[in-house]
Amino acid sequence: MAQLSENERKDLWAALMAQASSRCEELGLTKQDLRDAVDAVDDWIEDNMASFNSAIPQTARTALTAQQKVQLLLCVIKKRWEVS
Amino acid sequence: MASGDTLLILTPLNGEPLPTAFATLDLRNQHPVLDFDASANEGINFSAVLPRTYTGNGLEVNIHYAMSSATTGDIDWGAVFERIGEGQQDIDINGWASIKRVNDTPVPATCGHVDIVTISFDDGAEIDNLAAGEGFRMQVYRHAGDDTAAGDAELLFVEIKES
Repeated sequence: MAQLSENERKDLWAALMAQASSRCEELGLTKQDLRDAVDAVDDWIEDNMASFNSAIPQTARTALTAQQKVQLLLCVIKKRWEVS
Repeated sequence: MASGDTLLILTPLNGEPLPTAFATLDLRNQHPVLDFDASANEGINFSAVLPRTYTGNGLEVNIHYAMSSATTGDIDWGAVFERIGEGQQDIDINGWASIKRVNDTPVPATCGHVDIVTISFDDGAEIDNLAAGEGFRMQVYRHAGDDTAAGDAELLFVEIKES
């Protein structure tokens, strides 16, 4: 799973603002602040992919594809979001 | 009518989309609004006839807007006129005057509060030599590429008054 390109980060940044706008959800930061956060999260993911992979038990780590591992992470985060 | 009097009131329902990069019609708590993106410059056109009560003192364009999300940062608005008149403008081509901008206006601290930005135009070239009784177009746009407020800016009204 490659790190996001400049254009992909920009698209994501624009999409986040559009989503917040559609919900009239308050954003207490500037456009640049939000963009910096997008960049930082993408960088953090890149820096910690190996650590994440190591955290998965050996059997699953071997059996799951890279895409499946990412989907696992997304599902756990989504469930945590729903129950919180 | 005289200096300081309202000449025209325009609402989102009067907006005419541009060929590309145009503000989009939306509803916010049933208020018609025009949404201007935060990530790219967008504009909207309005067509009208300048009332015959205009006495040549210049125009003020008052843009009433609210932010969808932002409670901090600033916003840049611009406006520009195109005289249509009688025998003045071939409507198959564009003939805009020079753009005027008001930059770095701090947005309201509450995202549903309406702020009013004024862009002033002198009589004459700044309004493309528009005269009373003549048709015209006006384009309003957000310079999202230069401003800092996150999320959409939503236009609710435009008032054109005599300066």
